[in-house]
Amino acid sequence: MVDQVHKEFRKRDLLYSGALWLLSLIIPDPQLHYRREYQLRRRDLFYLLTILLLPLIWNDAHFHHLMVLAGIHGILALGLTLFLGYAGQISLGHAAFFGIGSYTTAILTTRYDISSFLAFWASGLTASFFAYLIGRPILKLKGYFLALATLGFGEIFLVLVRESPHLTGGVIGIFDIPFFSIAGFIFDTYLRQYYLIWGVLIGLVLFSKNLIRSKMGRAFLAVAASEDGASAVGIDVNGIKLGVFVMGAAFAGLAGSLFASVMSTANPDIFSLNLSVLIVMMVILGGMGNLYGPIAGAVFLTWLIDGLSRYQEYSLPIYGVILILLLIFFPDGIGTRLRVRLIYLISYWGRKRRREKVEL
Amino acid sequence: MDTWNIIPQLLISGITFGAIYALVGLGFVTIARASQIINFAQGEFVMLGGMVTFFLLKTIPLPYPLAALSAILIVVLIGFLLHLLVIYPLRKATLPILLMATLGASLFLSSSSALLFGTLPKALPPFSGSGPFEIGKVSVSPQSLWVLVATLLVLLSLYLLSHRTLLGKAMEASSTDALGADLSGISRHLMIFLAFGVSAGIGSIAGIFITPIFYVSYHSGTLIGLKGFIAAVLGGWGKHGGAILGGFVLGVTESLSVAFIPSGYKDAIAFIILLLILYLRPKGILGSPFIDSRRW
Repeated sequence: MVDQVHKEFRKRDLLYSGALWLLSLIIPDPQLHYRREYQLRRRDLFYLLTILLLPLIWNDAHFHHLMVLAGIHGILALGLTLFLGYAGQISLGHAAFFGIGSYTTAILTTRYDISSFLAFWASGLTASFFAYLIGRPILKLKGYFLALATLGFGEIFLVLVRESPHLTGGVIGIFDIPFFSIAGFIFDTYLRQYYLIWGVLIGLVLFSKNLIRSKMGRAFLAVAASEDGASAVGIDVNGIKLGVFVMGAAFAGLAGSLFASVMSTANPDIFSLNLSVLIVMMVILGGMGNLYGPIAGAVFLTWLIDGLSRYQEYSLPIYGVILILLLIFFPDGIGTRLRVRLIYLISYWGRKRRREKVEL
Repeated sequence: MDTWNIIPQLLISGITFGAIYALVGLGFVTIARASQIINFAQGEFVMLGGMVTFFLLKTIPLPYPLAALSAILIVVLIGFLLHLLVIYPLRKATLPILLMATLGASLFLSSSSALLFGTLPKALPPFSGSGPFEIGKVSVSPQSLWVLVATLLVLLSLYLLSHRTLLGKAMEASSTDALGADLSGISRHLMIFLAFGVSAGIGSIAGIFITPIFYVSYHSGTLIGLKGFIAAVLGGWGKHGGAILGGFVLGVTESLSVAFIPSGYKDAIAFIILLLILYLRPKGILGSPFIDSRRW
C-alpha cells in the first residue's frame, strides 16, 4: 500500500520538489560522515562557486570586510567543531588560542621582521604547543567542569597579556602589523584578503573532511558516543581527546595569525570570554557533527552582529534574546532542524493519504 | 618589613571578600542541590541586587530598608522569570546548550541593566556609621561586619531550609535521583523553579550588602559570579559549608597575594586556584556529594 502511494504521480509534488532541491543544495547535510567516502559532489561545487563569485557579484567593501571576519570566525568554529561537535567536549577557552596565534604573529612580524607566511605557521605551532601543555591536565574533566577550566585558562591568558606590556603591549596592544604577503604579493585590499581567508578555510575544510574519515576521526566519533565503550575497544580516550584539542587550537592559532595580519592590530579586548561564547554558539547553531554547519553559523552570526550594531546600545540585549530564542527553537542546529521540518512537511501529505486509507 | 605590616589589614579585607564569595557561592550551591544545573547568570543577580536598590533609593526616594526589601523581591522575580523563560523550555536540552543559554541570559541581564540604570559605577551608602573603627593597628569598616553577619544568617537559613523542612528535602531529592523524586510525587520542575528564586534572593542579598564596600557597575557581575563558583568548587561542590570555607580560602589567598605579586595579577589567582583544585582534587576540600556521580 505504501508503494502505491509513492508510485502514483501527484501534481502537487511539482510545487515543492523544486524548492526542496534548491534548499538541499544550500542546507548542510547532517551526519554524512558514515554514509559514503568523500567525493566532490554537486553541492560542494555549488558552495565553491558561491564563495568564488560572491565578492565579484556583490562588489562592496563593507561586504568584503564582513566576509573576511566571517571567514576567520569560520576557521575558529571549524576548529571547535572537531572538539565540540565530533568529540563531544565543550571548551570556553578557544579565544585564548586565537589570541596566542594573533600575538605570535604580531610579535614575530613587528619585532623580528619575520615574513608573515612563516609567522602564520609559527602561530599554529605555538597555539598547539600551549594547547598540549594545558590540555594534558585539563582534559580528564568532563561537562561543566571542563567548560569552567577552559574558561579559567582564557581568563588567565587575558590577565597575562594585560600585565606584560613589554611583550604584548599591555592593554593597548600591538599596532601596524604588516599585511599578509607571499613572495611579494601583498594582501592589502579587502577583496584579496577575502580570497586569502576563504582559501585557507577551504583547505582546512578538506583537511578536516579527510581527518574525520581517518582512523583518528573514527576514534573521536567513538569517544563522543561513549567514552567507556571507546576505551573498551582499545581506543586511547585521553590521547584522542588531547589530539583533537590540540588540532582545534592549531586551527584557532592559524585564524589568529590571519586576523592579526588582516586587521593589523592585536589587543586583549578582542580575545575575551564573549568571543569564546560566540564560537561555541556558531558550532551549536551550525549543528553538531557537521563541517559546513559551523561555517554557515559563523557567517550568520557575524552578519547578525553587524546588523544589530545599527541599534547601538540596544544591540546587546537584543543579541542576548536572539541567542536564547535560537537555542530554544533550534537546539540541534538551524540546518538540521529545518531539514527535519521539511522532510516532515513533505511526508505529511503521504501520511495523511495513508491514514485515510486505513480508516476506510 | 613594610610587607609584613600590611598583612593583618590584608587578612581583614580578605575575610570580607571571602564572605562575599561565600554568599555568591551559596547561590550556585542552592541551584546545584536542586537540579545540578550551573547558572552562569548568578553573578548578574548580585549586580542587579545592588543596582535595583540604588535605583529605588535615589530615583524613587524610598527608605533604605524598604528599597532593599523590594530590590530582593524584584530580583527573586527575575530569577523565577529566568527559570520560566530559559531553563524550563530547555529542560530536555544537552549540557552545552544549557550552558550557552545561561550565558546568553547573563549577557542580556547585564546589558539591559546598562541600558536601564546607566553605565556609571554606583555605590550605596553604608548601613551604619561610615567611619572605620580601629582594632590595634587594623582598621575595620562596619560594613565588613554586616557582610559577615549576612553570610552567617544566609548559611543558617539555608541549613534550616534543606535539613529541617520538607521543601528542602524535596529539592535535594529532585537533584540526587530525578526518577525517584518523580515516583514519590515531587514536581521536579517546581523544585528547580523555587531553587532559582532562592538563589536569586541570596544573590541580591549579597549585592545589597557589598555595594557599600565597592562600586558595582553593569559588567561587574560576571567576575563576581565566576569567583563565587570557584569558591563553591574549592570548598566542595554541592555543600553549603564547602561554599563558605572555599569563599574564605579564596578571599584570603587573593588578598594576601597582593603583598607578594603585582596587583594586576590578582584576578588570575582565582583561576589558577580553580585549575589546581580541578586537577588535584576535583571534589574540593570538604568533598562533594555530586562529584562521584556519572554526570560529572
